[in-house]
Amino acid sequence: MRKALLYLLLGLASLVTVVPLLYMLSLSLQTEAETLSANAVLVPETPQWGNYAELFTRAPFGNFIVNSLVVASAITLAHLVFDPLVGYAFAKFRFPLRNTLFVALLATLMVPFFVRMIPLYVLMANMGWLNTYQGLITPFLMDAFGIFLMRQFIQPIPDDLISAARIDGASELRIYWSVILPQTRPALAVLGLFTFVFQWNEFLWPLVATTTPEMRTIPVGLTLFNQEYFTLWHLTAAGSVILFVPTAVLFILTQRYFVRGIALTGLK
Amino acid sequence: MRPRTLSGRYARTAYLFLLPAILFFAAFFYLPIGNVVATGFRTGPQADQWTGLGNYTQALADPAVQHSFLVTVVFAVLVVIGSIVLGLALAMAIDQPLKGRVAFRVLLLVPYLTSVAIVGLLWRNILDPELGVLNRVLGAAGLPEQQWLNTAPLLTIAAVTLWQSVGYTMVLFLAGLQGIPETYHEAAKIDGADAWRRFWRITLPLLAPTTLFVSVMAVISGLQAFGQAYIITNGGPGDATDLSVFHIFNVAFRSRDFGYSSAQSVLLLIVIVAFTLVQLRAGRRGEVQY
Amino acid sequence: MSPQLSRRDLLRLAGAAAAVPVLSSCAGAPSAPSAAPGTFTVYWNAGHDYQAYRAVIAEFEQANKVKVNLQKYQWPDLRTRLLADFASGTVPDLVEEPGGWVQEFAISGNARSLQDYVDRDGQAMGFPSDWQPVTVERNSYQGKVYGVQLHLTCNTLLYNKTMLADAGVEVPTTWEEFLDAARKLTKDGVYGVALNQDHTYVWPWLVQAGVTPYDPKTGEIMAPMADAVEALQFQADLIHKHKVAPVPVSSTDYSGPQKLFSARRAAMILTGPWDLEPIRKTSPDLDLGVAPPLKHKVQATQAAGVSMFVPAKAARPDLSWDFIKRITTLQVELAATKETGMLMPRVSWAELPDVRSKEAIKVFADALPEARDSSQQVRLTGQLGKWEEQLKVMYQQVLIQNQPAAEALRKFAETAGGFLK
Repeated sequence: MRKALLYLLLGLASLVTVVPLLYMLSLSLQTEAETLSANAVLVPETPQWGNYAELFTRAPFGNFIVNSLVVASAITLAHLVFDPLVGYAFAKFRFPLRNTLFVALLATLMVPFFVRMIPLYVLMANMGWLNTYQGLITPFLMDAFGIFLMRQFIQPIPDDLISAARIDGASELRIYWSVILPQTRPALAVLGLFTFVFQWNEFLWPLVATTTPEMRTIPVGLTLFNQEYFTLWHLTAAGSVILFVPTAVLFILTQRYFVRGIALTGLK
Repeated sequence: MRPRTLSGRYARTAYLFLLPAILFFAAFFYLPIGNVVATGFRTGPQADQWTGLGNYTQALADPAVQHSFLVTVVFAVLVVIGSIVLGLALAMAIDQPLKGRVAFRVLLLVPYLTSVAIVGLLWRNILDPELGVLNRVLGAAGLPEQQWLNTAPLLTIAAVTLWQSVGYTMVLFLAGLQGIPETYHEAAKIDGADAWRRFWRITLPLLAPTTLFVSVMAVISGLQAFGQAYIITNGGPGDATDLSVFHIFNVAFRSRDFGYSSAQSVLLLIVIVAFTLVQLRAGRRGEVQY
Repeated sequence: MSPQLSRRDLLRLAGAAAAVPVLSSCAGAPSAPSAAPGTFTVYWNAGHDYQAYRAVIAEFEQANKVKVNLQKYQWPDLRTRLLADFASGTVPDLVEEPGGWVQEFAISGNARSLQDYVDRDGQAMGFPSDWQPVTVERNSYQGKVYGVQLHLTCNTLLYNKTMLADAGVEVPTTWEEFLDAARKLTKDGVYGVALNQDHTYVWPWLVQAGVTPYDPKTGEIMAPMADAVEALQFQADLIHKHKVAPVPVSSTDYSGPQKLFSARRAAMILTGPWDLEPIRKTSPDLDLGVAPPLKHKVQATQAAGVSMFVPAKAARPDLSWDFIKRITTLQVELAATKETGMLMPRVSWAELPDVRSKEAIKVFADALPEARDSSQQVRLTGQLGKWEEQLKVMYQQVLIQNQPAAEALRKFAETAGGFLK
């Protein structure tokens, strides 16, 4: 009886989360007339798989995908390199100004991106990095969330492990590399997934930092499927489905680590 | 020069590890933020005329700024309470030994993987009272039709926000629950405590760090919510969903008053930092050590 | 046991730090093309990429030996982008704008005066003599031309002929007839009319009521106030009192009324030519009627439509001007109209046989001389952004939230009076 109730609750909740996304899938397979119709269509009469092909003929959608993959992967890689290193320093070392620096770091989470955008844009323009991959990637190489997360993960690792390695004569970088990092593998999976999802969906920076259609990422490229006064829903939805696939695949691949990864966090 | 003491050497190592981060944050965060602070003292479409504290006094007296702040606080409270209650309830349900719990976990988290923009477009499309698919379904089922975007706009965009993020909160709570040793519950059972008492006396206190983390993050993101108003409601009807960050964005990019928008961002930054510090302090006091 | 980093460690660390940017720059990213000498960058609306314009661009590229980089955006995104460009100084060669930005950027010094080119070529190309006067005025500042109108649109009445005939209703020409028609047409799940959630759709009503939005000489706002109240309350009453129109929903989308009209769930809508194409696409067999703007105190409507301007720091204004000339010839205007049904600013366009022969376009074309630009006086104060924001709030409070128009307008005038001084 109690189990049945639980199944009911979880089943209903899952329906609420999934059905709207299925509706997006349905939209992506409708004709333009069906999406524009005032009597919303639930299931298309004949699925229009051609909508997906149309994305590629109406815009350099292949470029969008490649750009998104390059940018989001490079940023994710950078986070995996830097965030644990900095998090490790905050978690396991004592040094002057440590708390001040940490609070200053957290404060960067509290400024909306667009507030920084114009100064950042001027900086990138002066460096001649507009419309380049390095211009899209560099401003996001690390962030406070990732460092905070990694610090929380590394804190519970016993200090004895580190001291023992020091006695064995290992260099500090070696300790980080072969003692600390292997312990944080689940955390890295979490960090990688969050970072990738976030960057994959980023809109504002690729919008201003690219100057040719060929350099746009998927979220910015999708705006091409809006007309001045109405949205080409079938194409927007098809693009959204494509946008969704890589993050979903990445999530299914990492979800095993996911709960365990977060469970290890000190969360203090 | 080599530092003499051991602690000096560790500090040097730490700073070497931190060096890339210090350079990076200086260039891409503090320099631009410093620029924003400086812009807050200027006015005009090019933000090139000095006005001292003019933008700040104007912002503090501006009814639209006050209204948008109020809207934002209500929104953040709804999202924070919703995330904690729903996230915890779902986590406790999914923590039971059920078949298919992995599937539920995946299904509940899936909306979190999509962008706020797409979620916004999708829900706007679904909820439209005349054209949306929801009323079509409700009508077919013989149920009364909804006009939530007009009758309860703020609540509706808070609900959409929760729809997207509740799976994420649930996973965090689930992790917290799995960290509570089974022995505590068993001991309490032997003492004759019922499920309700066990929840209040054991589960909730031991989850305090998770709850604190969830609420801090929810407050930070709730106070900075933007896409919901930008995509779904355009701040309306009237000014009912004129969230602060959306308001500031419009001052900057629609009205092109970067001085005024910068001053408002600085004020908002101060508010968020204050909220967070209060939360952290309260959370630390509320934490129970076992 | 040394706590220091060995030199090799340091090298490795530096290598890791450098790896990402190096990798990415190896990936063959092209360098910024706006700086490239052979590229001509144009910011354009994503909905205006017409075949007719593609042909012009091809000719332009050939004649000037440049490659045109057509950057397509939605209006809000285009603006975000442009303001960032103005801040950094790397600007495009030509910008299409949705109406009103030309004067704004002329005031702020970001737009280049085109008066020297107009003095030189104006006679030959028919500028300003062949442009509807309203389009020249709204693109000038302190007696100088800063922009050239590309499309000129206006709002008028679209109706479903079959529904009107079935209900035995004549095509309305005044507000009273309009209300009467809407009442008779509202039945069986069909609304007599659908109003837009977007506040710019208020202007036809206000100008028909004889309201002057802002008079810089007297400082009066929405005068005569009683007429402005009447105009707003009239719309709200259609929705809340007479229940002949659905409650609109606030969003960034303008297509709600058109969709209801296309689905035969609204018999009349007040809109511009941009809705013709979606209606034709979704309901090709709908018997569409287009009627002149309604008359109340006066017969009038709102002018809208896009223009082009050249940023002040654009490097090759000669080329930019050449682009403007090529894309505004009468032949191109006609080709674009044939392709999309868009309305054009040339007086001679409105007299073309091809325009006169299409019923829907002819009615619009005839309404153009009655079209006014309502926000011009506010724009010239440099406070348009705040004005629009307040207007949106007031409009939705009255139409959606059913607040009394008199009170909402009084509050609006008070606030606007504060920043317009």
